[in-house]
Amino acid sequence: MALSEDQNELLLRHLNGQLGPSDEAKAAELLRGDAGARAFLRTVAEQAVVVADVERIGQHRPQPARVAAPVFRPWKWAVAVAAAFVLLAAFVIATTPPRHVAKVSAILGPCQFIAADGKVRDEVKVGTVLRVGDTIRTRSSSAWVKLDLNGGSLMTIAGRSRLRLLNVDGRRGFQLAYGNLWATVAQTAGAKLVSIQTPTATVEAEAAQFDVEAHSSTTIVRVNNGTANVVRLADGQAADVVADHLAVVAISRNRPFAATRQPEPVNQWNCRLHAGSGAVSGKWLPPDEKNSVRLGAIPLLIGKKTTLYVASFSVQCSSSPPVLIESGSRVRIRGTTQTDGPVYFGITTQRIKGVFFGKYTAKVGAGMLGQAGEPWQVEVPLSQFKPEAKHLPGSPAGMELSDIWIVSQDENAELEIHRVEFLPKEVGQ
Amino acid sequence: MGQRDRVSAAAWLVVRDAHAAEDIFQNVALKAMTKGAQFESGGALMSWAFITARREGIDWLRRRKNAPVCLDETILELLEQEWADEALGQAGGRSQALRDCLGELPAKSRDLLKRRYFDGHACEAVAEQLGTRLDAIYKRLSRLHQTLKKCIETKLEQPAG
Repeated sequence: MALSEDQNELLLRHLNGQLGPSDEAKAAELLRGDAGARAFLRTVAEQAVVVADVERIGQHRPQPARVAAPVFRPWKWAVAVAAAFVLLAAFVIATTPPRHVAKVSAILGPCQFIAADGKVRDEVKVGTVLRVGDTIRTRSSSAWVKLDLNGGSLMTIAGRSRLRLLNVDGRRGFQLAYGNLWATVAQTAGAKLVSIQTPTATVEAEAAQFDVEAHSSTTIVRVNNGTANVVRLADGQAADVVADHLAVVAISRNRPFAATRQPEPVNQWNCRLHAGSGAVSGKWLPPDEKNSVRLGAIPLLIGKKTTLYVASFSVQCSSSPPVLIESGSRVRIRGTTQTDGPVYFGITTQRIKGVFFGKYTAKVGAGMLGQAGEPWQVEVPLSQFKPEAKHLPGSPAGMELSDIWIVSQDENAELEIHRVEFLPKEVGQ
Repeated sequence: MGQRDRVSAAAWLVVRDAHAAEDIFQNVALKAMTKGAQFESGGALMSWAFITARREGIDWLRRRKNAPVCLDETILELLEQEWADEALGQAGGRSQALRDCLGELPAKSRDLLKRRYFDGHACEAVAEQLGTRLDAIYKRLSRLHQTLKKCIETKLEQPAG
């Protein structure tokens, strides 16, 4: 249907950005319902860019040159060269963006630095600077590294995570191959967007606080402040995830992809091993007479001569709401070990809707595990968990639970886990 | 050329700045080349290019203060779909016809289009520069766009040769 001149003008006024809210709504309504209106808008847009293109080419067309015989004056040349040099230097300084680097500002536990040229360092110190192409790995459940980016932004990776700095055009690029990352991206003058690639998603933010959990077939993005743009790599679908929302980005196109509101926190968690969704490290074992669900610990080489055997469980991966840690909370684990050695329970914590907080561990002695080879069920109160860093308070009460892990140092223990629960404080406590 | 104009035009509808739209097109083209992305068809490539241009446009808007109100994404998607649905072969002819038609416009008309779309002045500023009323600018622009559209259609109807 042909548009009236008034309707054309309404659309031109919309493009000029001067319409009030009611007229904007009118223009939007017209565009939604009238193919002719959309055709007109497309026509204007095509004409606008072609006008600019034609003018641009016209302005760059060579003009007939006026020829004048040069007069050689050495002092003028010297001044011109000096001025040009100063201008060039000023231009280079002014236009060179801050280099994309990340500086290690805090570190705990076994980490590995793999430089872009392939050199590997198993010891990473505070002050180490990562440049494009460099990779940092945190190698055990209890490890974490905090990175200071240019422009006041911060990132923390923890647990088993691998992060690489990428050269992404116009962005501060990172690749989170797997693991957990907490980012605070500050908006400062001249700072570029932060772009994080995972196996299934690209997450970009200019000013936001968010966390990312990346696995080979799923990425979970939670935004607590600001907005992050999330693209599902499987089909290019994009969604803006705003504060208090999250997006689960699966590798499958058949899974829904949309930002949803983060659920309210709860104070207990069962990692739903039966559903098979909460375990992030370990290997599934066939059911036996006593246990229908068995997750065996897997070896993690955390140094040249140190191997740990770990099973770990993520709150987010189990599709649970956030879990609030209270002063009387308890961790209850059921499993088996084949030797008389201790195991260690660990928890990762973060601030409620916020950044990484810290790791806490508790040693469970052989006496608590009973006879080797027999199933055990151990309940450890929060008060027995000790902080893994000096700066942390004695208790993580008031924080949010990110994950729980169970570790044995002994291969022959054949640690396996049958149930993982985080329980609220007992009534009357 | 035609597809380039369409992707740039799609970006322009988001950013309303022809130079930024050109930059966005360049970025999209660079991404398509450097990513080594494989597309099943020309249509798939264009869909990807429109989506990428829209995202880059929205990023550009976020970096600017006083950015124009962006159209609802559902409307942008409709516009992109309609662009993509147009026969791929038509685009090149339309693009050249538009350039020819621009060359045939009177100098005053061309000057108005230049001020609005190349210099990037708002209609109010153009009205002030030309010493005329704002309503008159909108009317002239509206008629100019229609004139160019008819001119293109006439040129496309003419047998080649």
